[in-house]
Amino acid sequence: MKPKVYLKELAFARSGDKGDISNIGLMAKNAESYQVIKKEVTPERVKKYFKGMVKGDVKIYSMDNLNALEIVLHNALGGGATRTLRLDQTGKSMCGLLQRMEIEVDEDVVNRAREAEEQILSRYESW
Amino acid sequence: MWNYIEPTRDSIRLKPREESDKKGEAAMKSLRIASGSAFWGDMLDPAVELAEKGNLKYIGFDHLAELTLAIMQRIKTKDPKKGYIDDIVAWTRTLLPITSKKGIKMISNAGAANPESAADEVVKIAKELGLTGMKIGVVTGDSIAEHMDEIRAKGWKFKNLDTGEEDIDRIKDKIVAANAYIGADCIIECLKEGADMVVTGRVSDNTLYVGPIMYEMGWDYSSKYTDLVAAAVTIGHIIECSMMCCGGGSNLWKVVKNSWRPGFPIAEVYENGEAVITKVEGSGGLVNEWTVKEHLVYEVHDPSNYLMPDGIADFTSLKLEELGKNKVKVSGIKGKPRPQTLKVCIGYSDGYIGEGHIFFSWPDAMAKAKRAEQWIRDRIKYLGLKLDELRIDYFGINMLHGKAAPWPSEDIDWNEMGLRITAKTKTRDEADAIRREVTHLWTAGPVSASFGVPFAPRPVVSLWPTLVPTDEVKPQASIKEVK
Repeated sequence: MKPKVYLKELAFARSGDKGDISNIGLMAKNAESYQVIKKEVTPERVKKYFKGMVKGDVKIYSMDNLNALEIVLHNALGGGATRTLRLDQTGKSMCGLLQRMEIEVDEDVVNRAREAEEQILSRYESW
Repeated sequence: MWNYIEPTRDSIRLKPREESDKKGEAAMKSLRIASGSAFWGDMLDPAVELAEKGNLKYIGFDHLAELTLAIMQRIKTKDPKKGYIDDIVAWTRTLLPITSKKGIKMISNAGAANPESAADEVVKIAKELGLTGMKIGVVTGDSIAEHMDEIRAKGWKFKNLDTGEEDIDRIKDKIVAANAYIGADCIIECLKEGADMVVTGRVSDNTLYVGPIMYEMGWDYSSKYTDLVAAAVTIGHIIECSMMCCGGGSNLWKVVKNSWRPGFPIAEVYENGEAVITKVEGSGGLVNEWTVKEHLVYEVHDPSNYLMPDGIADFTSLKLEELGKNKVKVSGIKGKPRPQTLKVCIGYSDGYIGEGHIFFSWPDAMAKAKRAEQWIRDRIKYLGLKLDELRIDYFGINMLHGKAAPWPSEDIDWNEMGLRITAKTKTRDEADAIRREVTHLWTAGPVSASFGVPFAPRPVVSLWPTLVPTDEVKPQASIKEVK
């Protein structure tokens, strides 16, 4: 059996808002991880994971040129930034929540994604 | 391979090595444009650094969030001379002495609900600075609140894009503001008229950049330039949120240096639609393929159809390349012609929010907080308070992620625990009752309650996002000259 890991092991993420729509850009740390998240992160799975926070559709678009997925959550922000009771009015923390979703993935793949992140960080450490 | 030649203010050259080696071939036309503000209240010092050291021709300033126009419209209703973002006063006073010397043009949407009055303030400051002859472009006409009945009479429905609701009559009497995100047409017109600065109301955020890029490059909306305008839209999108493409809000935050004195983004745009994203040398922050990517995926829906009033950009066609430290080349952008409709944000009055906080200390901090939660629920029932929604969050536990956050182990001996209690109501009094009842917990609940900060009830302006046919919106450009 493949071990379960958090999505954060494979991908960076950033979220934002337009009205009541939350969007999460999920950026794979390497090309291999991109293939995994493309397969594993499905609209059904994401909707279920958000436990009632997302009232509308979940749409996922792929950006093969950037190894990234654009995840669009409809009716997800309690009516939008100005009317919601959520403290995170604009859903800037939705990215962290998605990164905590668990997926099953080969240990080797996770190790290579971790190495990729280390390389990325060490490359820019000196800038 | 690319030759990177340090730019001078008037001519910046970057061209393919093979081409530049060909004798007699003219260098590619280019333009340096930067983002000086991402929101109302952004930092001013990075904009000053940009003006002084950026070798720029333009700086764009975005001050407007989705419903800022509704707030500004309310202010204008009380005082017809107000209703603009008054940051423009301090910004202009600080920047104009620098930009006027260097010939940098500023494009700002701080005009909000009242670009005319905002421009009058700019004229006043320019006069004080002795900048006689300076021209300030004014773009108005983005508000459609006055014409909505007319447009509806022609059969147009202002369907709510979030909810699918078609019956705008439900909110008709509560509308505070309705503004279309207009394109760059009038900004370009102002620049053609010789404007040294342009003040607008609601335009799409990236239009602040698309306008000057199109004007300088001589691009228009004809099919010949579709991909190039899409490139301008994409470049505008990348830089429009200032720090957000320069290591701000970044996953790489551990290696982002000195972002307390940040370098806001500069785009060096070329006539072939390519651009280099960079920042002032020595400033804080980070520009690399990841920080640019972070902004390319930010607040985008379908990335192959990024719909903007000036054009539709396809982010799935582009390529990012690091040319060196803090220099990222963006190329290969494709697009489609501008859409026939404009996005409109309608803001309408929608009740109130009441809020109260309370904190408990060790010992038994969590148990006390749980008891307090039950107290407030029982109290609301007992008093028969009418609430449309009630939300109770535990600080540090589920305030951001609600029910989707896992509950921590019951064995943790918390140092402290706080509750945030908030409710949406129809009236101000009902909202204030929530704040009041939380204060009653101070004396009637468990020991060690700390009061936190009192919150006044706040009026809610909700958003009704919709579309309008472009033809129904009639933006206007005019010029004020400093005499």
